[in-house]
Amino acid sequence: MNIDSVKLKSLEKLAEQIRKDSIWMSTRAGTGHLGPALSISDIIAVLYGEIMKYDPKNPSWPDRDRFILSKGHGCLALYSALAQCGYFDRTLLGEFCNRLDTMLPGHPERKLPGVEANTGSLGHGIAIGMGMAMAGKLANKDYRVFVITGDGELQEGSNWEAAMAAAHHKLDNLVVIVDRNKLQLGDFTENISQLEPLAKKWDSFGWAVKVIDGHNIKEITDVLSSIPLTRGKPSAIIASTIKGKGLTFAENKVEWHYKVLTKEQYNEIKDELSLEELAYE
Amino acid sequence: MSEKQKKSTRVAFAEALLEVGRVNSKIVTIAADSQSRYGQFVKEFPERSFNVGIAEQTMVGVASGFALSGYIPVVTSYANFLAFRAIEQIRVDVATEKLNVKMVGTDTGFSSQWLGFTHLALEDMAAISALPNIVIIDPADAVEAFEATKAIFDYEGPVYMRIRGRKEEPILPIKSRKFEIGKAQVLKPGKDILIIACGSSVYDSLQAAEILKDKNIDAMVVNMATIRPIDEKTLLDLIPSFTKVMTVESHNIRGGLGSTIAEFISERGINTQLLRMGVKERFGMAGSDEMLKQAFSLDGPGIARSAEKFLNEKFGR
Repeated sequence: MNIDSVKLKSLEKLAEQIRKDSIWMSTRAGTGHLGPALSISDIIAVLYGEIMKYDPKNPSWPDRDRFILSKGHGCLALYSALAQCGYFDRTLLGEFCNRLDTMLPGHPERKLPGVEANTGSLGHGIAIGMGMAMAGKLANKDYRVFVITGDGELQEGSNWEAAMAAAHHKLDNLVVIVDRNKLQLGDFTENISQLEPLAKKWDSFGWAVKVIDGHNIKEITDVLSSIPLTRGKPSAIIASTIKGKGLTFAENKVEWHYKVLTKEQYNEIKDELSLEELAYE
Repeated sequence: MSEKQKKSTRVAFAEALLEVGRVNSKIVTIAADSQSRYGQFVKEFPERSFNVGIAEQTMVGVASGFALSGYIPVVTSYANFLAFRAIEQIRVDVATEKLNVKMVGTDTGFSSQWLGFTHLALEDMAAISALPNIVIIDPADAVEAFEATKAIFDYEGPVYMRIRGRKEEPILPIKSRKFEIGKAQVLKPGKDILIIACGSSVYDSLQAAEILKDKNIDAMVVNMATIRPIDEKTLLDLIPSFTKVMTVESHNIRGGLGSTIAEFISERGINTQLLRMGVKERFGMAGSDEMLKQAFSLDGPGIARSAEKFLNEKFGR
């Protein structure tokens, strides 16, 4: 599909706002997984801005496409996207990790409109998405299920159980997008437990695989517009990304897995990135 | 007690599943290479039967996806592999959201017999009961397993039901067979000691009561098929009339019936003494169920011996 330049611009704007909101929320709260949110911002922007069908006024609309953030720690990006798409008022973003039992905790929960599954413990999302995809086929619905997993997350064995079974059940309405930012909590994935050759792994499990640049909006849009990649197979999209993307000093740095800006750092870059005032009420 | 009528709890579960599945098209079965436990349902409703392979975590995750899409999924496996291998999926995916998933652990207590400690499920209720929101049921016999299966599909929310193996077990001489979640049933009146039992131990407790009768000990036997929510009303009605109360379960004494009753008695400040019969501080081992029950003093004579000794113990210090 060829997206026009106007659409491209609007998706880029959406992604940019996701990054700004993620930085804003996490700095205000003094906590959050900023790096892992910045690496998926472009993918989330394309999913919510172009690919998925949903109705923010009716979050349980039976025909909606489903999205599961299996790497739940990347939720800053999801929260911003849901607010921008009208699931709730933007002012709610100020609640991120800012009050007891908040609707926007450090990992997403279903009490927030638009969140489809509780995630945060890694290796759960594909199986849940698989169940939704099977339920969709059983009910003769044509919705799709999109799951974003981390790359380090794929070290959890439960993902591969589900990957094997999803291919067996020919779930071509299931899409897994791997946020291949090459870093996990402690180090580069390849220094901890090697994932490569990752595309071959998915291929050998019976999935249709595509490797893309996870920050190229046009490329993300193109590939997500051609789901299923192969009829009768679930789709695995390995999105090559940069952890901390957009914050030059944080990019590709292991410590930015679970780190946030200080208020001083925020104010230093505020004008350059045209960020909002931190403003506490 | 007549032992003419016998039936396996596993067969009864499958029969009830078929019955409710015929009426309610939202019911789907998810198996982890455990499809045989669903019996005829799979043959009659292949489109509503899914097998994910030997992958209990995926089974529970997939069931959650179905529940979140408006279906009523059932999952089943050997109780240990369901309650332990998939415990984190049960916790994060099912229990937090009170999803309408029916979890059936099979081959519980001693019914795995010669398969040894890996398969003998003696701590499954303890694992599940650590998590909020899940109803826990341990039916006494096949008729109760049948009725309980129907009842859990009328209830909206997560349920863990523990049943046993293929082996045929005696049908108990119980008059009223109406099953209500959270309702205990007095099976035999008595005044000297109160025996509260669940699951396969109900049969053995009734046997024990017969033995005790010959020794002029009049034991009351209560079937506590629902471990959570516990029937507080019946407990409050009965326990204060006894100075000696026993619990009997084919399970570890922690995290199942015994613990629940101990918590109830101590927190209510009821002046009575409790003896918990079950497995204590150890795993199971290979053996026939008769051998195992005998070894753990959980057969009729073993329970009767313990009751007699307990009655002769001086109350308090």
